[in-house]
Amino acid sequence: MAEEKKSKQRHRVMVFESMYPILALMLILVACVELCDAATVVDVYRLIQYDISGVPFGSRFSSLNHHAASLSFQRGADLSRSVLILPLRELDIAFVQDYISQKQSLGGLLILLPQTFRPGNVGGGSLSSENDGFRSLLGQLEKLLVHGNIPFPVYFAFENEETDAMLADVKKNDALGQQATATTGGYKLVISVSEPRKIASPTITNIQGWLPGLRAEGDSSQLPTIAVVASYDTFGAAPALSVGSDSNGSGVVALLEVARLFSVLYSNPKTRGKYNLLFALTSGGPYNYEGTQKWLKSLDQRMRESIDYAICLNSVGSWDSELLIHVSKPPDNAYIKQIFEGFSNVAEDLGFQVALKHKKINISNSRVAWEHEQFSRLRVTAATLSELSTPPELLENAGSLSDTRQLVNEDAIIKGVKLVAESLAKHIYGHQGKDIKIFADDSSLAVNPFYVRSWLDLLSQTPRVAPFLSKNEPLIMALKKELEDYTAEVSVQHESLDGSFTFYDSTKASLNIYQVASVTFDLLLLLVLGSYLIVLFSFLVITTRGLDDLISLFRRPPSRKVKMG
Amino acid sequence: MTLFHFFNCAILTFGPHAVYYSATPLSEYDTLGTSVKAAVVYLATALVKLVCLATFLQVSETEVFDPYQEALKAMIGFIDVAGLYYALAQLTHRNISQNHKFQAVGLGWAFADSVLHRLAPLWVGARGLEFTWDYVLQGLEANANLVFTISLAALGSLMWLRKNKPKSLIPIIYTCAVIIATMPSITSYLKRVNGWHFPKIVGFELATSLVMAFISCQLFILCQRPSL
Repeated sequence: MAEEKKSKQRHRVMVFESMYPILALMLILVACVELCDAATVVDVYRLIQYDISGVPFGSRFSSLNHHAASLSFQRGADLSRSVLILPLRELDIAFVQDYISQKQSLGGLLILLPQTFRPGNVGGGSLSSENDGFRSLLGQLEKLLVHGNIPFPVYFAFENEETDAMLADVKKNDALGQQATATTGGYKLVISVSEPRKIASPTITNIQGWLPGLRAEGDSSQLPTIAVVASYDTFGAAPALSVGSDSNGSGVVALLEVARLFSVLYSNPKTRGKYNLLFALTSGGPYNYEGTQKWLKSLDQRMRESIDYAICLNSVGSWDSELLIHVSKPPDNAYIKQIFEGFSNVAEDLGFQVALKHKKINISNSRVAWEHEQFSRLRVTAATLSELSTPPELLENAGSLSDTRQLVNEDAIIKGVKLVAESLAKHIYGHQGKDIKIFADDSSLAVNPFYVRSWLDLLSQTPRVAPFLSKNEPLIMALKKELEDYTAEVSVQHESLDGSFTFYDSTKASLNIYQVASVTFDLLLLLVLGSYLIVLFSFLVITTRGLDDLISLFRRPPSRKVKMG
Repeated sequence: MTLFHFFNCAILTFGPHAVYYSATPLSEYDTLGTSVKAAVVYLATALVKLVCLATFLQVSETEVFDPYQEALKAMIGFIDVAGLYYALAQLTHRNISQNHKFQAVGLGWAFADSVLHRLAPLWVGARGLEFTWDYVLQGLEANANLVFTISLAALGSLMWLRKNKPKSLIPIIYTCAVIIATMPSITSYLKRVNGWHFPKIVGFELATSLVMAFISCQLFILCQRPSL
């Protein structure tokens, strides 16, 4: 007996020893595999969250942990714990408007955009009419979302096979009335992000380049200056998608090309003009051109007074036959007349028209609609060259989701560059009225379409919402280096954004899509398994011991009671 | 899926082993020691198989059914048969009848196989949020595997421990044993060449295991008659 006990103990020890490595291995497996738990992971882009003078706007929440729902849900159903999936292709703008204006409760909103709106998607020109419809619809939706106060998370994603399959499933279930809840299974959408935090002291960065003019010997007077200015930052419903190819990527590209052309001219003393050229890439454009304002105030007063006029480039990438020159001074002003005549003559030679558009500045209104208004407020003659006929509203037309690379036409930018460059050259070299083309297509000073295209492609893939850019943002460094190549005395100016605008972080996230089973299903499965094991038990007892033993299992309790009695 | 689903799948995977032990006379004849020994032998056999697979098998990039590789895999699979022989014929068992011995060995073997192959994936996958039918099907496959293993143990008992079996039954016994031993290769062939999906394979395994169990039971009964 003692030997038997010892042998038993030895066996147990052996078993336990062999079990430990397996347990350790299992724990390691658990730790490693736990990370890749979701079946589908989709990149999503969050609707912007910001305050203006303390008034909240945009999406006010970020984390998501709800079941999916579609537009096929039962009318009147409670969606406070559902994520509504809205493909742009089926969007009803009135429905969204009702939902937002009535402050309806919603677990979350996921807007699926076609792949053509993905930044960097140059794509073919197919189905342009359909895309135009989507673009207009997206513009309305964006305006609605950006200017609303939305008490639930709103995310944008691009359609792909997984989202389409999930949406088809959700629609089918919703049509049958089986809305996804904890008891009916379905799809669960999870975004695990921390609560958004305020961005402390967002910065705006201005980049300035300077081409000094040719000074005559013995002349000590200040040379006049012409400024070419473009705003480079954007604002859109989703900051991570706000690339602004046209507004104002086209303006930035045009400015860089003009700087390149004039750097060639000014590098040779024989062709250097008697005007200084000042190139500025400003930030804060969507916020009343605050960067431009701060840049102008930081300029030396003598420098500012020497500015003959300033040309601001805004959205010059998708026009066809007409550009507009927006001014704040009356059209009969001598300076304005001179500028306009210069531009219209060059435009006529190039085969299109420019029109003059006058908008008086209301000093008491803090809204700055055009960049040149910041110059006009300081009594500097300035104009904005743009394809837009009406001034944009606050936080609009500044790089929306629909402003993508496909919207921009390189030829339009090239024509705009020629217009600006030829007009400046006529003004600088005094060729008014003469039929001389300095930047002819077949000359060494031709506009370089490859240069335009490469910079446009880069800007079309780079979101540029100013509060989310760091001081050493790669794009800002690239723009600075580019100006350094073409101009002298490049300086970078960092400013703080006005206190009335407050921004919150968390602009991008990963959406995990789980196909979940319901508790009811698991309960049913438990019942089935229990029945199976009971049947298996009975079958085994009958086949190995006989039916009498099975029956006797249920008769023992009465016999025990009898014994007790 | 949740912890609840994990428990459901675990019940389906390991419950039949416990039910088999408690329902049959095994629980009355103190055969737990035999089952534990068989489980230990299984672990050693699995280790040897792992080394052989790593040494001799070439992992192909494509999923093409390679007859040579599959034949090699089947030959390595016969290490299981050798392990089962050792567990049945070489281990010393205290005064256990032949009838109960093969059942205890088969039960321990199948349980160790389920623990080694299914517990970790079950723990990792069945508790995740994503629902799939895979783990329920794996539980059913564990049931089929239990039946296969006990059938193979019965046939092994006839082949190695019973001397005076009728000669006309010997080819049938060996044929059934070979079929059960090569079942992994058969399912692999059906999956890759015929393109069967997991549910269909599990159904095939369940049906085949029941047929094999019936045949093994009949063979066992027939071999016992002369001794009566």
